[in-house]
Amino acid sequence: MSKAYLRFWGVRGSYTAPFASHLGVGGNTSCVEIRVDDHVLLCDAGTGIINFGNHMLRQKDIRDLLIILTHYHWDHICGLPFFVPAFVPDWNISIFGPGQKAADIEEYVSAQMKAPFFPVGTETWLAKVRYITPPPDHRFAHGPIQIAYDNVHHPGSTYGYRIRANGKNILYVSDNECLYLDKSIKLKYGELSAEEQSLYDRMQREEYEAEIKLLQGADIVIHDAQYTPEDYLKKRGWGHSCFIDTVNTAIEAGVKELYLYHHDPNYDDQEMEKIQRRALEVIRERKSDLVCHLAKEGMIIEL
Amino acid sequence: MVINATPTVVVVDDSPSIKTIFERGMEGLNVKLRIFDSAQSSWEYLAINKPDLLFLNIKMPGKDGLTYLKELRQLPLHRDTAVVMISSKDYAQDRTIANELGARDFLTKPMPIRAITDIVVKYIGN
Repeated sequence: MSKAYLRFWGVRGSYTAPFASHLGVGGNTSCVEIRVDDHVLLCDAGTGIINFGNHMLRQKDIRDLLIILTHYHWDHICGLPFFVPAFVPDWNISIFGPGQKAADIEEYVSAQMKAPFFPVGTETWLAKVRYITPPPDHRFAHGPIQIAYDNVHHPGSTYGYRIRANGKNILYVSDNECLYLDKSIKLKYGELSAEEQSLYDRMQREEYEAEIKLLQGADIVIHDAQYTPEDYLKKRGWGHSCFIDTVNTAIEAGVKELYLYHHDPNYDDQEMEKIQRRALEVIRERKSDLVCHLAKEGMIIEL
Repeated sequence: MVINATPTVVVVDDSPSIKTIFERGMEGLNVKLRIFDSAQSSWEYLAINKPDLLFLNIKMPGKDGLTYLKELRQLPLHRDTAVVMISSKDYAQDRTIANELGARDFLTKPMPIRAITDIVVKYIGN
């Protein structure tokens, strides 16, 4: 029987929240480990990757891993300069993320370690680091783990990943503003002519269907749920979802298990509990059998 | 390179309903409209044809519009092609990247049909 699990090493979005009031949920930024036997895949390299790296140094069997980055905003890459395996000679680390070619990925990853932002550059990494050339069909594999990716709704080029590991379909969409066009159309509806309204009704349906399709067929969805509806009113257009939209979209897509992720660092444990209660209310009201959790640092899900 | 007497407008957007919006926006204008639903499907055409105006959506399945524009700009044929981004993503970062890649304008969905007409007239003339 294979050893397969998923572990949250960092669950915050934007910036770290190392405050006593926040540590029940966790203070590190985005990083999720997916493990199948000796094959290790890391989704994003926020500060969560630092603890993961230290954890890996305490074992002797594994020296290879793949890091897939959704994008290059700081909260998704800022753990790399402190990721100790990169500085150890016998490690093999592959890195993938948005870019036209492997050199673009290297350029974006290296940028944060250039002077005057950091004392040493990636040239001091002693591990064998390989940047993966983007495959034309947007699919590749890491041992038995299958990875596919596509663009999501967030500033710049940002990927959502569909990962097949140990027979489970996992969707990792850390940063995605659900239903953005839907809301834009609603906001401007009154300014449009009857003909335009009819055309944009169609576009609204198309976009909605595309959002549902993104999540369909997933056993486990890890999705951006950064804001409460109240905060989303002020932060619409920041590239993140209101958790109610995330829950509703997951219900519509027939997702089995949803992990609310990329939590706002302003929300302490009490606020996060409220979010979970409200999410469960939505699920109850809609008579859905969706299983919904708050992603918490240290949480392990058997695959 | 194929040179057409009638100005050509190319749209790369995965939305099926965008076709009607552009067809309506160009009614009465002397332009030839070609629509592709992805970067991939337009590549063969754009590799050898320089449209008078190119509309690019940003968030599309496969290659996104910003990455595609970067790739097109590396071709001598498209170094100065007039490009307008059309996107549901209205983010400052996207506008900055588009601007750096020499996009002339940035339309956010839902735009009125008139906005398409105005942009075409602005860059091609009537």
